[in-house]
Amino acid sequence: MYDTPNSTEASVSQTHIKIAARGVQVHYGEKHALKDVDVDILDKTVTAFIGPSGCGKSTFLRCLNRMNDTVSVARVSGEILLDGEDIYDKRVDPVQLRAKVGMVFQKPNPFPKSIYDNVAYGPRIHGLTKSKAELDEIVETSLKKAALWNEVKDRLQETGTGLSGGQQQRLCIARAVATAPEVLLMDEPCSALDPIATAQVEELIDELRSTFSVVIVTHSMQQAARVSQKTAFFHLGNLVEYDATQTIFTNPKDPRTESYITGRIG
Amino acid sequence: MTQEHIQSVFDRDLEAIQAHIIRMGGLVEEAILDASKSLEERDMELATRVRDNDSAIDGLEELVNDECARLIALRAPTAVDLRLALTVMKVAGNLERIGDYAKNMAKRTGVLIQMTPVNGAHAALRRMAREVQGLLKDALDAFIQRDAELARDVIRRDRDIDQMYNALFREFLTFMMEDPRNITPCMHLHFIAKNTERMGDHVTSIAEQVVYLVTGERPDDVRPKGDTTSTLAFHQED
Repeated sequence: MYDTPNSTEASVSQTHIKIAARGVQVHYGEKHALKDVDVDILDKTVTAFIGPSGCGKSTFLRCLNRMNDTVSVARVSGEILLDGEDIYDKRVDPVQLRAKVGMVFQKPNPFPKSIYDNVAYGPRIHGLTKSKAELDEIVETSLKKAALWNEVKDRLQETGTGLSGGQQQRLCIARAVATAPEVLLMDEPCSALDPIATAQVEELIDELRSTFSVVIVTHSMQQAARVSQKTAFFHLGNLVEYDATQTIFTNPKDPRTESYITGRIG
Repeated sequence: MTQEHIQSVFDRDLEAIQAHIIRMGGLVEEAILDASKSLEERDMELATRVRDNDSAIDGLEELVNDECARLIALRAPTAVDLRLALTVMKVAGNLERIGDYAKNMAKRTGVLIQMTPVNGAHAALRRMAREVQGLLKDALDAFIQRDAELARDVIRRDRDIDQMYNALFREFLTFMMEDPRNITPCMHLHFIAKNTERMGDHVTSIAEQVVYLVTGERPDDVRPKGDTTSTLAFHQED
């Protein structure tokens, strides 16, 4: 009764594996931050990573677009395949990779440029457009996808940092979307937002799922429950449990998951 | 889950709701025993008391539902906590129904006391009621101790109640065929027997909730249906 396929909007569709991680380990100097993580992230699905601070969820997220390359003491081993191709292969250009695997951060961090230039930045540096008209179109569709267009269409030349917090975060999402990524990584995208802006971003995440695979790290378990179809629980560097969100929140298998999501000491 | 919540007020809320269920269960068990006792011993005063006490059971059901609604709204329970909230609401509903059946038994006692007792029927109904009360006690123990095995045992044992009902059904039919003056008391007695059999079904439902609470899964095997009277036909032989 509570497990009928496609009975709810939250049910997981049978889509193909977008990212396959096998035996991923991360060391920060002496610290073993991530221990042997295997996970398949599905396409056109929102996957939530939850777990207490320092459990490795952000570390793992940052492996998925090689953001850990920028941390000098970080050592990543194991295999991460994006559509079957190893993203840590020497021939892969991390900058190109990050256009495919976009990222939105905890705090809105628009460039101190105009709204238009914030969104146009990615397509420009990656040379995605041939003409101004084409670029205008990308800016418009990206802002529309981020549900920001109607609020800013008459003031595209104003500075992005002048927007409200929620608008800034949606601008950052528009910026990430502008390079036509295949995967969108979000590291606590709503922790600096008020409930209304949070609801708008969550609505947006649900819409983006029709086009991308979305991976979100969140400290709000209710947010994970609301937006994701799959949930992974990390604890002390281990991936403890990975299952349909509905299962994790009604009947988790591992006692550590149960303790964490029910707010017990663990 | 024996661990405590980080927010201790959450634990206190959950404990309070479970305490209401335990109290409700105690009142319902008492109502079953008293109603059947009043029938056998022709005790009108006791029958009246059972009817009056039912409102306390109804009140507790409302209280459990209100507390659960509050818990869901304010604490957003998940996993075993969520299952507990869902379980106690259903269990409270089952207990309330059982209480109603006991009250109905007490009501019919008021009528039956005016009539000539039908040979042995009151004692048989009291035995059946005691059996149901025993099952209910085990179902509630299974709930308190989170004992899925005991709950599964309760589900199996409901069959005994069904068989007692089948036997009484035949007996009442025979009495009615023997002498039409038996029809009025036997109709009342039959309703009491049927209602007691329904109490058993509600106890089974409570036991099923306990299995869900403990394991997160509904009991898989479909419960054996022991009440066969719906397909039974009697023909007077002459």
